[in-house]
Amino acid sequence: MTDLDPVIHAAARLRITATLASLEAGDRITFPRLQELLDMTAGNLSTHLRKLEEAEYVAVEKSHQGRTPVTFVTLTRRGRRAFEDYTDALRAVLGGEE
Amino acid sequence: MTTNSTPPVDDEPLQSPDEALALIREQQRSVEREQLGGVPWILGVWAVAWGLGFLALWSGYDGGNPWFQLPLPAAGSIFGALLVTAIVTSAVVGARIGRGVRGDSAFSGAIYGVSWVVGSAAVFVTGIALSRAGADGALLSLYYPAAYALVAGLIYLMGAALWRSLDQLVLGVIIAVVGAVAPLFGAPTNNLVMAVLGGGAFLVAAVVMRVSLSRRAR
Repeated sequence: MTDLDPVIHAAARLRITATLASLEAGDRITFPRLQELLDMTAGNLSTHLRKLEEAEYVAVEKSHQGRTPVTFVTLTRRGRRAFEDYTDALRAVLGGEE
Repeated sequence: MTTNSTPPVDDEPLQSPDEALALIREQQRSVEREQLGGVPWILGVWAVAWGLGFLALWSGYDGGNPWFQLPLPAAGSIFGALLVTAIVTSAVVGARIGRGVRGDSAFSGAIYGVSWVVGSAAVFVTGIALSRAGADGALLSLYYPAAYALVAGLIYLMGAALWRSLDQLVLGVIIAVVGAVAPLFGAPTNNLVMAVLGGGAFLVAAVVMRVSLSRRAR
């Protein structure tokens, strides 16, 4: 079986990556909105984002809107490529079985 | 960020490629549903605004609705109120579509929003110019719906190009054609054409989009 990227090949991180990949390249999303789209707890999302960030698949950027701090999350180019490679690998595996 | 001691949820490798693909598909559909869920409502309020609004106008003019007549000021007020409701609903619901997202697509969305304001203003100002040049009420009642429908149709076509949306492409073509054809029927019948074909197109678009979003949910 083809090696599947272990960073993405876990339910939570796959859902996060798939969500970020559905945004246009060059778009970033706020942490709370991402949390809403994923229906995950903030703690769990942070933990998984950190792992994706360590792999340089995701960039987390903190800024301010007025006085309130805002955290933006975006899929890096590397992350987008990893997600595409991953889905290609899945399709190859499934296609190979038929 | 605080470190929490609870182990992360859903950290285990997935069982099978099928499961992984299904998870991707399900998640991306859920994002789409969450983001676009308001769009059928936008189309729905425009269906009501065009359908009932132009029927009211048609009933306000002499030689219009043969079944009942409305005083013209009342018909105009109904039309105006429905229009304002539709504009406010679109702006509020539309602004929620891309909430929490910044970047390149926000730029496209902003241009799309601004186009409505610029286009509507241009129609209005041109109407004033026509009126000052001597256009009477009957002529203006042909001009306004047609010009506005042309602007709206072209903006939908732009939306179709921006978001590769077949729904908007079809709607844009229909609305532009309705706008162009309605004046050929003369006043006040052009209002009936706008109500039935224009309002009808919005209604069909709303239903089609609603159904396709919920079908993707399964």
